[in-house]
Amino acid sequence: MQKTKIPAVVSTFLVCFIFWVLLTWSFTAQELIAGGVVSLAVALFSARFFIHEKAFWFLNPAKLFGGLFYWVCVFPVELVKANVNMAKICFGGCKKINPGIVKVPVDLKSDYGQAALANSITLTPGTITMEVTEEEGQTYYYIHWIDVTAPSGKEAGDAIKGTLEKGLRRVWE
Amino acid sequence: MRDLLVFAIGFAVLAALTLIRLAKGPTAADRMVAGDAADTLICIALVLFSLISKRGIYLDIALVAALFGVIDTMLVGRYLEKERGQDK
Amino acid sequence: MSAVRIIADILIGIGGIFALAGTIGILKMPDTFSRMQASTCIPTLGTVCALLGALLFAIFNKGDAGAAVKIAVICLLILVTNPLGSHALAKGAYKAGIRPEKKMEVDDLGRDLYGD
Repeated sequence: MQKTKIPAVVSTFLVCFIFWVLLTWSFTAQELIAGGVVSLAVALFSARFFIHEKAFWFLNPAKLFGGLFYWVCVFPVELVKANVNMAKICFGGCKKINPGIVKVPVDLKSDYGQAALANSITLTPGTITMEVTEEEGQTYYYIHWIDVTAPSGKEAGDAIKGTLEKGLRRVWE
Repeated sequence: MRDLLVFAIGFAVLAALTLIRLAKGPTAADRMVAGDAADTLICIALVLFSLISKRGIYLDIALVAALFGVIDTMLVGRYLEKERGQDK
Repeated sequence: MSAVRIIADILIGIGGIFALAGTIGILKMPDTFSRMQASTCIPTLGTVCALLGALLFAIFNKGDAGAAVKIAVICLLILVTNPLGSHALAKGAYKAGIRPEKKMEVDDLGRDLYGD
């Protein structure tokens, strides 16, 4: 088990406290103090479980703008494209499908980057990340794909996550 | 207000339709997928109803529904994964 | 009917169309994993469009900041947490031995895990 680090506690505390303020939406001193105490307790207990890398990566402006660009411009476009595709399949009677599970290499090294990529792939309709493995230093995803058009490996990877991975590599190496 | 009411009832009807799969589905995973979809749709319908009836309590219920919808899906997923491990 | 009302109605209608697509997919797709894929339409564009319309309505027609913030939090919560459940359910269903009736053409996970 990891030791509790100060930046991890601070970032977890900030997330909990902002969430509390958003939920209650009242700014009397009583509620703010109660929320602060509970957030601090939660942060002290649980920070070591989910902050394993640098917590304040977004203080670097280049990375912050890369992340904003990804979540505002790159990802929604892919999301809308995949959604329209899936809606066409569904309204067309669910006939034109060819499901399969492909194995795809991933070049991102950081934990945050891999988690963000896996969640983005799962969130686009038509692809679900099922399993993550590591073989000889190279990370592989097993992805369930509803319309297999390319064989496993590099080609399927480009077809599924080419743009997403390019956008994410600007943020996390 | 009437347009919002029509939309809210439409979402609720969609949620009721997914219940057909929940009753019919051959495996546990099918039932869980249908349950998750019904949960999300009911959440949207609750938000629209709260705007119609001007009562904030529906929003809180929608929030809790959104939170717990994920927890039960994950629970069933982990349970299915472990079940096969004990058979072997 | 102001312009904002019309825009909000159109957004909610688009969300309803995508939710309908997801529901049809859940009811008619042939196997478990394809149903899972189709149901992803509901929490992504269905929810986002519908709640965006509701957000516009709450801000401009009612002027209720607390409700607007809560709607935005609900939308973010569904978007962030849905892939976790979907991923866990797909993995668990595959490992519990659930397979489509018509055999998949490409199945790398089955090949690497169980050798079939």
